[in-house]
This record gives sequence, structure tokens and C-alpha cells, in this order.
Amino acid sequence: MKISTQWLREYVATTWSAETIAERLTMAGLEVESVEPIGPSFQGIVVGRVLDVKRHPSADRLTVCSVDLGADEPNQIVCGAPNVAPGQLVPVATVGTTLSLPDKANPGSFKELTLTRAKIRGEESNGMICAEDEIGLSDDHSGIMVLGGEATPGEPFTGWMARSGRPTGDSVIDVSITPNRPDAVCHIGIARDVAALAGTSLRHPEVTVPPGPGETAGHVSVSIEAPDGCHRYVGMLIRGVQIDESPAWLKARLEAIGLRPRNNVVDITNYVMFECGQPLHAFDFELLAGSRIVVRRTKTEGPFTTLDGRERRLPAGTLMIADGERDVAIAGIMGGENSEVSEATNEVLIESAWFEPSGIRRTAKALALQTDASYRFERGVDPELQAWAAARAAHLMVELAGGTLVDGLVDERPIRTEPVSLGLRAARIEAVLGAPAPAADVDRLLRAIGFGVVAMPDGWTVSVPSFRPDVSREIDLIEEVARLRGFDAIPEPEATRIPTENYQTPGERHVAERAAEWLAGSGFREIYTNSLMRRDVAEEFRDPVLRAGFAVGDVVETVNPISQEMSVLRPSLLPGALQVLSHNMNHGQPGIRVFEFGTAFDRGHVPGAPVAGYRERTHLLVAISGVADRAHWDHKARNGDLFDIKGTVEALLERLSAGPVRFEPVATPHALLAPHLRVRVGSDLVGVVAPISHALAGRYDLKTGASYAEIDFTAIAAMAVQRGVPRYRDISRFPIVDRDLAFVLDAGQAVGPILEAIREVSGPLLREVDLFDVFRDERLGADRKSVGFSLRFGADRTLRDEEVDQAVGRVVAAVEQRFSAGLRS
Amino acid sequence: MPDAIAPLDQLEVLARSVEHDVLTSPAEVEAYRLRYLSRKQGLITDLLKQIPRVEPDRRREFGAAVNRLKERAEARLAEAEALQTPTLGTAVEIDLTLPGRRPAPGSLHPITQARREIERVFTSFGFTIAEGSEIEDDWHNFTALNFKPDHPARDMQDTFFIEAPTGPGTGVFLRTHTSPVQIRLMENRQPPIRVIIPGRVYRNEAISYKSFCLFHQMEGLVVAEGVNMAELKQVLHAFAVELFGADVRMRFRPSFFPFTEPSAEVDIWWKDDRLPDGGRWLEILGCGMVDPAVLENVGVDSERYTGYAFGMGIERIAMLRFGITDIRVLYENDARFLEQFA
Repeated sequence: MKISTQWLREYVATTWSAETIAERLTMAGLEVESVEPIGPSFQGIVVGRVLDVKRHPSADRLTVCSVDLGADEPNQIVCGAPNVAPGQLVPVATVGTTLSLPDKANPGSFKELTLTRAKIRGEESNGMICAEDEIGLSDDHSGIMVLGGEATPGEPFTGWMARSGRPTGDSVIDVSITPNRPDAVCHIGIARDVAALAGTSLRHPEVTVPPGPGETAGHVSVSIEAPDGCHRYVGMLIRGVQIDESPAWLKARLEAIGLRPRNNVVDITNYVMFECGQPLHAFDFELLAGSRIVVRRTKTEGPFTTLDGRERRLPAGTLMIADGERDVAIAGIMGGENSEVSEATNEVLIESAWFEPSGIRRTAKALALQTDASYRFERGVDPELQAWAAARAAHLMVELAGGTLVDGLVDERPIRTEPVSLGLRAARIEAVLGAPAPAADVDRLLRAIGFGVVAMPDGWTVSVPSFRPDVSREIDLIEEVARLRGFDAIPEPEATRIPTENYQTPGERHVAERAAEWLAGSGFREIYTNSLMRRDVAEEFRDPVLRAGFAVGDVVETVNPISQEMSVLRPSLLPGALQVLSHNMNHGQPGIRVFEFGTAFDRGHVPGAPVAGYRERTHLLVAISGVADRAHWDHKARNGDLFDIKGTVEALLERLSAGPVRFEPVATPHALLAPHLRVRVGSDLVGVVAPISHALAGRYDLKTGASYAEIDFTAIAAMAVQRGVPRYRDISRFPIVDRDLAFVLDAGQAVGPILEAIREVSGPLLREVDLFDVFRDERLGADRKSVGFSLRFGADRTLRDEEVDQAVGRVVAAVEQRFSAGLRS
Repeated sequence: MPDAIAPLDQLEVLARSVEHDVLTSPAEVEAYRLRYLSRKQGLITDLLKQIPRVEPDRRREFGAAVNRLKERAEARLAEAEALQTPTLGTAVEIDLTLPGRRPAPGSLHPITQARREIERVFTSFGFTIAEGSEIEDDWHNFTALNFKPDHPARDMQDTFFIEAPTGPGTGVFLRTHTSPVQIRLMENRQPPIRVIIPGRVYRNEAISYKSFCLFHQMEGLVVAEGVNMAELKQVLHAFAVELFGADVRMRFRPSFFPFTEPSAEVDIWWKDDRLPDGGRWLEILGCGMVDPAVLENVGVDSERYTGYAFGMGIERIAMLRFGITDIRVLYENDARFLEQFA
């Protein structure tokens, strides 16, 4: 909310600059977002004394003046004002000054003029004697401004202004109001905090509030049919108003805070609202049928034209102000066109009411219509303020719009807000803040912001002012004390106790951290992708094949997406990763390897789910595209493929003690994946390792294709945690025996089953088996290949040759038999 | 024979020859060894033997100087011998300027790095880590956290709904902060609680250089007997010192959050010579004392226990630490960006 410091100073006398006010408010919980100086700066304008005035030799309406500007020689200035006379003290804009002059061709706008040494109709002129409108003080252009009192020729004009009690240099401070400060949405509210912080008092404008209904009650009747929505309705009547422009000072105040002046009556209602926080509405009383005001709710949905000329559909149940026949305003939000104040208005009914905050909020939201009034009602206006605000506006209308006040006011008040009184314990202040607050501070600060304070043996009894509906508990009072003393007043302790009995970080977290560290160390770059994606993409990647055959529930869709591009939660990390691969491959990377930990979502019933019906699992995705190993002086470049990913997954899971890992080929063609592998840990399928299909690679513009693995990391982490700390086994002190075996067999025979068979038949002495060679050669015969295995044997004793020979014999026999293979000599 | 003891300036002469004697051939190397380090007649060996006879007040200084000389002579010998022993093959000349074989470079995302840095600091202060789900319900995300139905504070949270609310307290949505994890923790545990909660959160905001539809948050929650705002200030001050240096300037500004009271926003002074004041205050986190209503909502006695909570955007911390000015680059994952945070 915008606050004019000049306006603010009406209510609080402080020598603080705008910047200091902003700083102090910020540190007391009213955050100031900006401080902007506005209005005339009077730079280059000095006081001059007119010494002599002569007629211009060649222009009847001009004079040639000699003006003392404090220099040795007087200045000659040509002047066009009728009232210039010798002896006057006047404001003079010196040569080089830029003035913002009212543009006569475009009323309301300004054009800039920089003064130069000039000749006007042949006479030299150095500067300009100014009228009030020319230096932005008012819109008076009847003649030059003549300064009263004492002044020294040549002194800055601002000095004279200050001595005359006319503050110069207004600033607008933009305060961001938190929802707990309904009192701070007006100048008096802000001034109250400034006064408390500066240790001065708040000056409230003096207004005579009519003590009773008086004559007004005979002219206006108010009935509140919806007391739940309107706790109070005050009306005052002004007769014989002259609708006109507001005076310059009032327009300037409203313009300073960003409002467009309309006419004196409307401007006054706005002025009072921004002064005290009470929204007011002015009806053209002669347009109200039956001189009645009825506060009621709409029974059905229907149209209503607000005073901005727009027709709006009001939902049934909207709180309205009606006259004897029809609706005339949406309560607390905006008036109707049908009863608006216009140039023809003669009698004005001022409405000053208290509307229930949540109802106003719902209506404003439903109509997408937030106004300065609704903003204040939503937060809660002071339920004791209505009569004062109406009277304040009424008196201003009498003063500025020539009206006469009809005696008395109508004040319908079906529901009264009971005053709140709270206990505040000194010990509790210390318990919450960690430091005691001096009793004198508590008393002074709470009083300064309008609270009543009575000392009690262990603290205080505090009565809450009606403009602080947010304060309803002891903690609210502690906050008030803390913010006004400043959080800087709370000293930091030298030590803090840490509870000995604490909970442990879940082990699963450490597993993920180790995995990320290992992957980064193994040449993969971590990525973060959006969890929201297009619906059609999510549907396509919801395929069970991507989850090692497990069913995937329906996609989880948001009902209010930003755009269709981001409407559904990802069921798989793959689409996001493909986008990243594609982006990088198309931005000059020869190859890229990435990994991501992220949540995958689907619908489904999981026992103990935080929110029933939704499934969230942490997935790990690892992917590679393009060159895996760049050309170097000792080897050629190599593109990444399935086996980079397969090996990575195997090594990673073993490192996390979630092994051994087994891979099960899936040869069935699929739209998204080429023939691929399912990953099994123990008895559980945990994910897939796959090259993406040509079609998919084409769609993502991945010319070298891509391979990836997506693993259910929630499952892996649980397994790793269950395995716990590794148990040490004695290291064998005896030598290892290595044997290599090569077989020639059918080229179509998969190697995996042979490795399984070797492990199965070789017996307990086998420590490791690995594949060291696969090759095809004409000499082996067409459709034949050679595969070489290295076997390592060991035991906790020295092996005898015969033992190893026996094991090797079993391996050879089994492989020859089961796979139609022949041992290569 | 006190006059036979070498004065320190003679050591300097010796040091010069130890340093500059030429050692290119095996013969020269052997001669060097004999001259300085031979057990019987080496010049340095000789000096070593003299140490015990030096006057006590000079002995330490003299001994140190001689030992330095000895170490230097040994180092030169080792270096010369290494050069004369081929390490690869035999006499084949090897081009030592060939580039080495580097493992493929990987990296942790800057968000992970910032998260870990924050976690490192708080776990060192005795915090443990907790996590929760991204899909949440009204109770845990709003109501239990003291967001009143229709409270203007709900305006602050623009939310992605999965199930639109059908009345007060209903609706399923993507969590707007990690605070629901606080509620779930307190519903299932008794104080003392001292945790930090990292996680992904969502806001239905237009995407720009300063906001993305999702980001990562780190929250802290401490609930125990005797916890107070002074401790909160201390912990956060220690945190700021760890992340931004010992000379960090910070301020606690009163603010408002539905779930804490008193509440504060914490700014740090960010130096920037281009600004008229030489810098500006930058908000880095929000915090406060857990509102007693929140404690009561989860069945914790708010008279006996007090608590504090704080929350910050991990992206914001990462952007400040690394000088990133556009949040969107964090989610683009360009390798040229990622490789800068290896």
C-alpha cells in the first residue's frame, strides 16, 4: 500500500526522513518495498526581491523587472503577470532550471521547459518569476506567487517553504502489508506505528460525531436483513452538494498514492478510506427508491451493473445493498451504476458499514473484482470506526463541496463485537523470546499502539483495541512487543542445548547420497527436470514395459495447470531425460551421460500412503547418448550403448550392497524400447536397462540413439538399508588358480545362460567368472563364434591341480552339452 | 676443540655447493654421495656428529640447519637417481607431454550441491533429515498449519490442485511448501524434535527468470522444552556464517506466516559496488516461533513445549552462491552449465 509521507506527517510529528521512516517500519514488521520522492523538488528556484518594474517597450502585457537574487548586480527578468510590483518577495526559477509547466493545450498534463538566457520581444530575460502552478504548488495561475514573511534574496525557495510550515519534498513509500495487520491499511494506522517507534504521540483528526439519529432518521431508513454479513451500517446525509473537481491539495494527495481524482464527493470518500481504513460509499440519495437502504443477499444468480459500467453475474447469496426496489451496490466491493454520484447529484448518502470479511473475500474472488474497499473489508475493518469515518467525510463534504449536513446519523448495529482482554505473563515473554522484556517497555509500547495495559503480579492484563481483531491470544501480544522492541533486542545465547534423544535420518537417504556421489564420480552429470509434463506424453510413457512389466496406474493430472505442456505428473523420468539428451546433443555436445533422482507418480492404492489413492516412488534414471569415450592418442572414440548402462547399474547396485543383480532379456519389440533387459535384485524386478527404439530416438532428434536405465530407487534403498553394515570375511591367504576356456558355438547363442551354467556346475571353489572375449571368424565356420571365459578358483587352503581340473571338466562338459559348443584348443 | 665447530655462515657455503653440484652422470651422483653423506667422511655426516658438542644455546639452531642440509642432499640424490632409472620399458624415449587419460567428468547438480551444503551445516548442529510426499492434503499443507479457511494468507499460495476442494478442509494438491512434513512428523513423534526437511514444492506461477512452477525448499523444525527465539537467531546466524562467511551481516525483520508467531524474514547484506549504498539487503529465509495453534493441532502441549521453524528456497541459496541470475537454467541441464559445478 502506498503511503505519502507528507500526508503521514499530518498524524505524527517526526523529524525522521522518508528513508528513516521506511527503515524503522521495515524493522517493525511493515516491510517497505520502495521509497520514491515525488512532487516538485524546487531545484534551481530561489527567492528574489523585485526592485523595479518597467513597462516592456514593445509589449503591453509584459513588464521588465529588475530582481535582486543576492548577487552583486540585479537580474533583468521579463514578466507577464499582472500583479508584479516592486518590493515583492517572489520565487524565481534561475537560468538552467527545468520546470514542469501545465500544458494549456492538454489540461491535466505537463510539458518540460528548461530556462535559458533569452530575449523576449527584444528585452533580455534571465530566469522566470513563477506562479504557483508553474512550480507545482497548486493550479493557481492568476498571478505570480508573492511570498509573505522574511526571506533573503538568493536563498533557496525550499528554505522559505520550510519556515512557512509548508513541507517540501513528498515521498511515497510502498508498504507491503501482511495479513495480520488490518489496522495498517491506512495513513493513520501507519502513523500509529511510526509514533510508537519514534516515541511521539499520534494526532487524530478532530471530528464531531453526531450523538444520535437526529433528523437523518426521518429521511433514511436502514434495515439489515443479513446481519451475519453486515454487523453495522451507518448512514449520513448531506444536502445541496456541488459536484465539482476537488481542490488541488486533495487531488495531489490522492495522485501521490496512485489514485485518479474523480469529483469532490468521491474523492472525499477515498481520502477518508486511505486516512483511517474505513471504506465509504457515496450514493446519489435522490436515486434511492423509497429513501431506503436494505442489506440483503441475492436469492438467485443475476446480472448487476457496477459503477465502472460493467455488467457482472452475481452468484446467489451475494450480499447486496438495495433501496426500496432494487439492488444499488455489491456490499463492500463496488457501487452500482444506477445510484452513482454524478454531476447532477444534489443529495449524498454516505455509507459507512462493517461487512463480514470472509463473505467479502468469497464474493470478490467469485467476481474476480478486488477493490480498495474489498481489500480492507476482507482483512477486517475496525467495528468501532463507522460513525467517525462517516462524520469525517460529511464534514469534508460540507467544507469542500458546499453541502449542508443533515443532523444526526442512522446507525443500525445488529451485532456488536465484544472487547477482548488478554493476560500477558512476563515469564511467557521470556520463554518465547529467550530474553526478558523490561516492564516499562511492554507498558509503553502496547499503549503507544492503542492497547490498554494494567499491571498484574506476574504480568499484565491487556485490552485489545477494536482495530486489532488479529490480536486474540497471548502470543499475539508477545509478537507486538517483540516487533516494536525490534528483534535486534533479542540477544543470541552463547550456547544451545541439543536434545540427546533425537530421531535418526532414514538410512534410505544416505543410500541415495552415496549413489549420486558414485555416479558423479563415474562420469555422469546430475540433472533436475520438471515433474509436470504433457498429458499425451505421460500416457505414452505410463507403459508397464518401462517398469519391468509392472502395471502403472492412471496418470495424476492437475485440475488447474499453467498450460497443457505442464498438466500431468510424470509417471517416468524418461521423457524429461530424453529432452535433456536431445538439448545437449543439438547444442554441440559429442556425447552426454546424465542421471536424475526424482519422484514418479501414478494413481494406485498403497497401504500407508500419505494421501490415499496416489503412489509416489523415487526413481533413479541413468542415460547415455553419443560418444561415451572420446578419441584419445591411444584409442579411438566409442559411442555409448546399452552395455555402458548395464555395467553402471550392476556396479552401482553392488556398491550399494543391493546386489547381486541379474538381467533378464526382453526380446519382444516395443514402440518405445529396443530389445532390452529387466533388472532383478534378489526376487524383485526393480527396473529396466534399455536402448530406446529408433522411432523414439527419431522423435527426440537423437541421431546416435540413447540407452538408459530407470530403477525403482525406493526399493533399492530399502534393500540396501536392510542389508546393513557389511560383515567381514577372512581373506584367503592361499594362491588363486586362473584358468581360461574358449568355446566355439552357434553365433545366435546368448552368453548370459552360459555364465549361469558355469556358476552352477563349477562348485564351491569358483571365485569369479568373467567373459574376456567374443569373436567371429571365417575359420570358425559360418554362424559360429568363439567365446572366452576366465575362471578363478580359490579356497582357504592350497588347491590341488586335480580339484581344479575336476571343476573345469564339469564346466566343459556342461557347456558342450547344453549349448552344442566345442572347446577350442 | 671448540674452534673446529663450523659457524653458521660456513653452513651457507656448504649449502650452496649441495644445491649446485652437477649431477648428470652416474659417476657424479656417486661422488656427490661420498662427498656429503658418506658414513665415514661425508661433510654433512661430519657436521651431524658435531651437534652434541655445540654450546646448548646454539645447539637447536645449528642442528636444524644441518638436518635441512642433509634432507636437501638426499632429495637431490633421489631426484638424480630417478632420472637415470627408466620407469617405462627400457631406453625408449617417452613423450611425457602427452595428455593423461582422464576419467569421464561427472557432476552433481548445483541444487544438490547447495542442498548438501545446507544439510552439512545443520546436521553439524544436531539436526536430522526427514522427507515427505509431494502430493498432499488440505489438513497437512494448510489447516493444521493454522491457515484459516478463507484467510488472505491462502492467496499467497497459488496451488496446483489434483482434486479441487469441495468444501472447507478438502482438496488434494501438490504441496506448496515442505511444512506438511512438519505436521506428519509431529503427529507421529513426541518432542524433542530437531529436523531439517528438504524437498520439491510447487507453485502455480508464471515461469520467468525468477520463478519456476516448482522449486526446492529446506525447512527446519525444532520442538522441545525451553526452545526460544534467541536460539533460533543463534542457529541461523551460525548457518549464515557457514554459508556466507564470518563477516556476514544479517538482520531479522518481523513478518507474518500463519504457522509461526512471532515470525521473521532474514536478510543478509549483499555487497554490490554498483549500488549507491555499496550493496543491499537480500531476503534469504523466513522463520519464527511455531504458533501454539499448530502445536495444539498435532497434540503437542504448547505450554510445555515451544518450537521454532525456518524455511528457505534451495534454488535461491544456489543462485546466490554461484551467481546464477535466471532460475530456468537450473532446469535446462545444458552440459556447459552443469560442468561449471563439477
